[in-house]
Amino acid sequence: MVNFRRPSPSRWWNDRKSWIVVLFFLILLIVRLSKTYIFRDVYYFISKPFWPGEYQQEILRKSANQELNIKLNQLERDNLRLRRLLDLQNFSRDNKLNSSVISRNTGSWWKKILLNKGSQNGVSTGDAVIGPGGLIGIVENTSKLTSSVKLLTSPNSKVGVWNQRVNLHGLLIGVGTKTPKLIFYSKNIDVQIGDYILSSPASTILPPNIPIGIIQSVDNESKPNTIATVQLTAQPEAIDWVQIFRMSY
Amino acid sequence: MKFYLNQYLPLISFLIIPLIIFWNPAWLSLMGNQAYWPIFWLLPWALIHGPFKSLLLGFLLGFILDTINADIYTQIPGLMICGFWFGKIGNLNQLNNTSRQFGLNAAIGTLICGAIYFCQMVIKLLFEKSSLWVFSYGVQNIFAQVFLTGLLAPVFCRWLYFLFSKKYRLKN
Repeated sequence: MVNFRRPSPSRWWNDRKSWIVVLFFLILLIVRLSKTYIFRDVYYFISKPFWPGEYQQEILRKSANQELNIKLNQLERDNLRLRRLLDLQNFSRDNKLNSSVISRNTGSWWKKILLNKGSQNGVSTGDAVIGPGGLIGIVENTSKLTSSVKLLTSPNSKVGVWNQRVNLHGLLIGVGTKTPKLIFYSKNIDVQIGDYILSSPASTILPPNIPIGIIQSVDNESKPNTIATVQLTAQPEAIDWVQIFRMSY
Repeated sequence: MKFYLNQYLPLISFLIIPLIIFWNPAWLSLMGNQAYWPIFWLLPWALIHGPFKSLLLGFLLGFILDTINADIYTQIPGLMICGFWFGKIGNLNQLNNTSRQFGLNAAIGTLICGAIYFCQMVIKLLFEKSSLWVFSYGVQNIFAQVFLTGLLAPVFCRWLYFLFSKKYRLKN
């Protein structure tokens, strides 16, 4: 039998433009579903030869001493208090993972860094990232080989913190600049310039007692809260190596 | 090889944009701000291909960048407006391909994109009744990006325009 029926040009599948539209939406779908992890993983391989050398770890060790002095002071006080309080979440050294910064975006709208460890290494969303000096951010999302970290300076960052000297909780809010704002939800409190700010010892989201910054100025006139400006102890612009605290490890 | 490179040059250069955004060279920054890289690609492409294709490409470009940054604010409207506007300029043949014009158009495009992005940030803060601490930082970001993009556009845009138009001439 001979098929006399010719392909009709009115059918949509015979129209080239329709296929272009379908292809366009297919690309959009792929981009959305893959969350551009492909780009990140390609960038991982391209940037691999240029990753920072081992000598950077020396700097990390030296600055860790300074960090440890602050922590020791706080831990002694903490221990006394915790004997009478709850059993807190434990963070051993096994939870720590060294990682190098392979992409840095600390200046413009997006305050983020990209690390060369991903879900393959056990990193998951919400893990704390610590650089020389203290906490620098929280893991926002991970691909197989990389993880993206939202810095404390990001306008979308909000972290619960602890004033060591007066034992007071506050909320650290990123405002885009290098000095985030710290809000204490009470008035007439004895917050002073130079007070150390750490992660809360009772926190289940962040590892306890990690140095975050030092109070640079206090605005006692603001109402109804007390607002302080914090100078962060870790500077993400100059960090090549960081440590990831794997919370779910 | 050279043939394929010529054939797929717009696609290759398009795919390089996200990689440059990840690379984010510090030596090419002003007050910590980078140039607005998507404009360098969109401007020459739109000048050749007209407003409607550029509108779509602006959407696609914004879509990819939004997904990379995983942010609550979007770059799509800014890039779509720029794509359409650059395409119109190309259609009307208003650009004489001088460095000054490339620089000026890229700078205005960056200003539009930056302002739209910043407006979203401000609107969200106003809805949340939060303090507008980000205001000075936002204004500084916009102007640093505008300056840097305008400064580098004559180099990148003219080069890409030359390559894209050469390919376009060969095709037609």
